[in-house]
Amino acid sequence: MKPFKKSVCLIIVILMVLSIAACGSSSTDQKGNEQVDKVDQGQDAANNNDSKEDEGQDGDIVPQSDLSKRVTITLASIQTTEGYDYTSGDDFAKFYSEKFNYDLEVTALNWSNWHERLNIWINSGDMPDVCVYDYKHAEAASYVEQGLLYRLPDDWKNRWPNVAKVFEVTQLGPEMEKRFDGTYFLPRARFYKNLINDPDEPVPDHFSLYMRKDWAEAVDFPIKSTYKISEVLEFAKKIKESDPGNLGDKLIPIAQAPSSAVRLFVGSNSTYYNGFYKDKDGTYKWGATSQETLEGLKMYAEAYQSGLLDPEFYTLQQNDDTRQFDTQGIAACNFGEAPTAALPRVFITNFQGNVGLDPFESINVATVLGEDGYFHQQDLINYWGTIIFSPNIEEEKFERWMDVLEFNASQDGSIFASMGLKDVDWEYDSEGNIVSLHDITKQPLGGPDGKYPSMGYTLGVIILHDDFAFDNPNNDEKLRELSRVLYTERCEIATPDTFTKVDWDLFCFDSPNMRKVQFDYDTELTNLITMGGDIEQNWKDWIESKMPMIQPVLDELNSTLN
Amino acid sequence: MVKSLERVKNFFKDLWKWRNNCIMILPGVGWYIIFAYIPIYGLTLAFKAYRANLGIFRSPWVGLENYVYVFRDPAFLESIWRTLFINFGRLLFQFPYPIILALLLNELRINRFKKAMQTVLTFPHFLSWVIVASIMINVLGSQGLVNSLIKIFGGEAVNFLGSTKLFVPLLYITENWKSGGWTMIIYLAAISGIDTEQYESAEIDGATRLQIMRHITLPGIKNTIVVLFILAVGNIMVQGFDQVFNLSNPATAKVAEILDMYIYRITFKTAADFSFSTAVSLFRSVINFVLLLSADRITKWLGSEGLFS
Repeated sequence: MKPFKKSVCLIIVILMVLSIAACGSSSTDQKGNEQVDKVDQGQDAANNNDSKEDEGQDGDIVPQSDLSKRVTITLASIQTTEGYDYTSGDDFAKFYSEKFNYDLEVTALNWSNWHERLNIWINSGDMPDVCVYDYKHAEAASYVEQGLLYRLPDDWKNRWPNVAKVFEVTQLGPEMEKRFDGTYFLPRARFYKNLINDPDEPVPDHFSLYMRKDWAEAVDFPIKSTYKISEVLEFAKKIKESDPGNLGDKLIPIAQAPSSAVRLFVGSNSTYYNGFYKDKDGTYKWGATSQETLEGLKMYAEAYQSGLLDPEFYTLQQNDDTRQFDTQGIAACNFGEAPTAALPRVFITNFQGNVGLDPFESINVATVLGEDGYFHQQDLINYWGTIIFSPNIEEEKFERWMDVLEFNASQDGSIFASMGLKDVDWEYDSEGNIVSLHDITKQPLGGPDGKYPSMGYTLGVIILHDDFAFDNPNNDEKLRELSRVLYTERCEIATPDTFTKVDWDLFCFDSPNMRKVQFDYDTELTNLITMGGDIEQNWKDWIESKMPMIQPVLDELNSTLN
Repeated sequence: MVKSLERVKNFFKDLWKWRNNCIMILPGVGWYIIFAYIPIYGLTLAFKAYRANLGIFRSPWVGLENYVYVFRDPAFLESIWRTLFINFGRLLFQFPYPIILALLLNELRINRFKKAMQTVLTFPHFLSWVIVASIMINVLGSQGLVNSLIKIFGGEAVNFLGSTKLFVPLLYITENWKSGGWTMIIYLAAISGIDTEQYESAEIDGATRLQIMRHITLPGIKNTIVVLFILAVGNIMVQGFDQVFNLSNPATAKVAEILDMYIYRITFKTAADFSFSTAVSLFRSVINFVLLLSADRITKWLGSEGLFS
């Protein structure tokens, strides 16, 4: 009897194993088929807005992870709030954590420690599961070479097709995938559906000149959509003389922190002031040595020496200068982050909310041109911040976070990430248009003071808010239109020599010498204008002091890339 | 041979005899071995091309290549001279300050006032440099307390925060304000160890307070002063990073780039190269070591006791 029992048990076990294996394979096939269907559906949804009414809050995604199992994911990112509960601190966070069944442990990084903390964590093999990394090629190449980052599985684009589609428009993603022979970085797209320029053309930056329109009118200064740097100086001088806001000692004609000041005066005049470039004669040069850079520095020095900048502008941190304009109302102009996602914050939340004036009557936003009358900038590249994973991340955590990204990259998810909870903060009208149910003039949706402090860039944003801001009904139509005009105009008022495409060979060039010449240009150039004396001589001395480091790089570039 | 064996035997005999003491110092010795001596191997990074995936041991040797980069950068040598300049200034303007404070405080006769003063002087030590820097910006800024007072008296605002000429004196003043009171405690402790009979007999002999201070108190704490001086010289290349980092800004960047700031910049502000940073750090340690030994020899030559026998 015993041998019979054993045989029956053995057969049953074999049958069960085979049946499970068969079920597994059929479910995988089914999953694959479903996925293809969903990709098609996603594309259809992207092309056909009529179907929006039928879509739920789930978005058109097929989770690739086992959502029944709760996971804890650690994440480090800029633009997060220290100590905030990103798992269940608000309804928005709760929606994500319940939908994707995770606990999120967030380490908040700030602008001053973002790079160095990540650098230490990555090099020590101690990085959180997911991080938002400010891509620097030499360093990134070194991380990849040393196996310090997670390499995404080869089939990731099939498994997370929405993320793959976003990845393709970021320029950086596909290029680095080619060079590293695999995907290590998921760049977060600035623009996706609302591409500013042709995909092969350079992307313009957001930085624009905010100026007090009411004050400009008071001193008879023309209101335009573009100004040369010298015109900005002229405006500031007029304001300083007349003080139309009656601010006395408090008046700051041009509110800038060192980094944005360098961008305004030097960057707007010299395309390559902070790097190398291939000149028309075919040789590589260092942009800091160009006459355009010197010209910009002279205007920067003039602004400082004639008291147009805050006397202690060098102590200001990022955003302090913007606050002087839009919150304190003591500045005549500020060159800062502008279209598109930033405009409502500056106009409505900050300016209207704090200064108490009608922003549309009081603010003019303009593009700053070089003294040659053209817009100067190197290709912004269509990304900001890349998502990277720890090489030690558990598969299920990686898959879970990719599912979150996939949701946010989907038609519904992208709306959700920018507008909040469906039927609470927004809904579709009978024609399929998005209608806002939240008044952002009373309280912003996201950010530390918002309705949902967790809402922003933390919960798996793969398409930055700049893109949806063009369609966001929470943003005043006038601001959306202003954004479009500014972006379009700066693409038009430029030549291929002043608004340049990215040179990928140069971008990816890496050598021990190259790694030693990544200077802090904002600090060094600011120091040249504050140290007193003749600015041209200061600039020459500075260049001379850098040449022992620069020349070997130029030699390498000219011998390797030419 | 027999003598050596005898010595080893005696050593183990002593070890057994003092076993309880040895067990007590074992954790301390262990700490030093693990955290101070073993990491010294990490200095080999200065001669390697560090790869995190290979670790310190398996990263390839590159000889003196990192030093070729180090000495090619003019900013490196400049930062060394600046460090020496600033920190020798500290010996002049900071080192005597707590000694003077201790001597003066020791002369106070009202105990309550003495304690209150001690608390007031010691308190700033517990503030971080981030806080002190914020206080300085508020006090010395163009709209700050000092400039407001200057303006009230008809003067013109002074650019304290962006002046390259005022930056170094500002370092000495803030360091004295922050740490003078704390270091003073060491000297006060040394003063309290002086035999009180010496003071009593000096008073009976009719010595003035200044004479007592000069001929009893100061000689009484001479050894403490010498030891702290040698240690200060030995730390000359590593002093003040927190302070300089927090008090500097782009306007003072050139005069503020001491060696530690340089190391910070090349490690965290550019593409990280830990071998390069270690090469610079090792160079700094060698200078420190030379300075420490020199200070020790000079003090011995001047007739005081040094740190090393």
